[in-house]
Amino acid sequence: MERIYEIQMGIEELARRALETGTVGGVAALLEVPETNKIAFTLVRAPEDVKGLAPFSPWMLENAARSISQMTREAAFTQPVAVILRPCELRALRELVKLKQVNMTNLILISFDCPGVFPIGSRLNGNGDLPAAYEKAVLEGTNCPGIRQVCSACEEFVPRGADMVISLVGRSPTDTLRAAFPTEAGQKFAEALGLLAEGREVEAGEERDRLAGIRADEHNALSARIQGSLKDLDGLVSVFDRCISCHACRYVCPVCYCKDCFFESPAFSYYPHSLHKRLEQSAAGLRLPLDRLLFHLGRLTHMGASCVACGMCEDVCVAGIPVSQIFKTVGGDIQQMFDYLPGGSPDDPLPLLTYREDELKEMED
Amino acid sequence: MKEESKEFTPNILYALCSWCGSGGSETAGAMKLHYPENVKPVRFYCTGGIDPVYIFRALLEGADGVVVSGCHPGDCHFDTGNYRARRRIAAVKTILNTLGLDGDRVWLRWVGHGEGKRFVDTASEFDEHIQEKGPSPLKGIRGV
Ligand code: SF4
Ligand code: SF4
Ligand code: SF4
Repeated sequence: MERIYEIQMGIEELARRALETGTVGGVAALLEVPETNKIAFTLVRAPEDVKGLAPFSPWMLENAARSISQMTREAAFTQPVAVILRPCELRALRELVKLKQVNMTNLILISFDCPGVFPIGSRLNGNGDLPAAYEKAVLEGTNCPGIRQVCSACEEFVPRGADMVISLVGRSPTDTLRAAFPTEAGQKFAEALGLLAEGREVEAGEERDRLAGIRADEHNALSARIQGSLKDLDGLVSVFDRCISCHACRYVCPVCYCKDCFFESPAFSYYPHSLHKRLEQSAAGLRLPLDRLLFHLGRLTHMGASCVACGMCEDVCVAGIPVSQIFKTVGGDIQQMFDYLPGGSPDDPLPLLTYREDELKEMED
Repeated sequence: MKEESKEFTPNILYALCSWCGSGGSETAGAMKLHYPENVKPVRFYCTGGIDPVYIFRALLEGADGVVVSGCHPGDCHFDTGNYRARRRIAAVKTILNTLGLDGDRVWLRWVGHGEGKRFVDTASEFDEHIQEKGPSPLKGIRGV
């Protein structure tokens, strides 16, 4: 059973103390700069810079696993760095470890049970105030209207494998922290900061379970809705016919890590004579750019097994295609077939990089 | 039924690995066995090297079905390519089925080097299987 401690400080104070005591050399998290209405994932090194630390802010401007990858891929941190991530960012991080894009050395993983985030646009075009409805939903353990669709349907909102797990659902963002320290590294971190000695053990609230129930229902509804909208070919075509081939969805995707995406390789660049030939053969004419549906089908086969349903792709899609809902649904079926939860356990190998000799006989014809 | 469907000649791609799959087709040649002319063999280095994107590309660009053959489990020239291929084909079938398309337009069947008869039987059987299904609706949406 996890042990949850009430800690007499907020997240800023915790970060400041961690830096001041030298327990960590840096803290990486979302940071708000109210004067400029800016918010960004930031690596903070000086205790006085923790002001504005806002890891619970209900926006995700990028899946921060990408930033951690950029900061550690070629060289690990040389001193401990506490990173505060949402559960889907943490899962993406773990997928990237398996893809050799992240070095976990010296990372202290802090996460929290996640009420969900709003689409990016509402932050970039808004004033950054926390909507009152959001606060209320977090407190009650319900879905706040207007959060990302995949957030409403996210059953993996309680982090796995974090060193420190903050209980947020059922609390107010301004409350003092409640947290569990499930790993050895987490215990050490808590001890170094004196959190366990000062803290008081508390019971988990029921709000998290309430949210889990709501999310499970929403997940079923989302899958049914998406499958229904794609079910016949006309549906599939009308959904993807809107795609303008900008590939922004794969660019922001945390698990699409390839430096040179296959879909931007010469395998998909056409020479005039090949286009002319196609045009001759096609009664209906040739619609450009080519390979829009193929790109999505292909991306599903490349990383559908690793999709953590974070919602970034859908948020950046100018065409309004429910990309992340589609990837959550189709990717979810692939994951279920391989009995794999992306970013779940570090010991489970990537489904397409492993095999068992005695499996999937039903796939042979 | 049969009469009617005979009017439709499916466009079929037969993906073969360089070792057993192609070996099977060579053995068939040596034995002077015939397979339907609308089944077009394509040689890959190993079934494990077939990016599923090429299967989807074929289906979107005019193939009514794709059948893949490589070495029997345990016989892969590269030891494990065929096991990896089986996982990828499983993903392809799952994607097609979840999207309401037809995962059964893609087949995976092992064919050994000496199995010339199994090679032509697979080609014929798949040809009939696709004839019964009719033209793939996917190939009509070229350009999407
Ligand atoms: S972001 Fe949208 S429009 Fe751009 S490639 Fe992805 S699905 Fe297509
Ligand atoms: S779509 Fe495929 S090739 Fe492109 S970045 Fe993603 S995983 Fe890599
Ligand atoms: S496909 Fe979309 S939802 Fe899935 S991990 Fe990538 S960005 Fe997130």
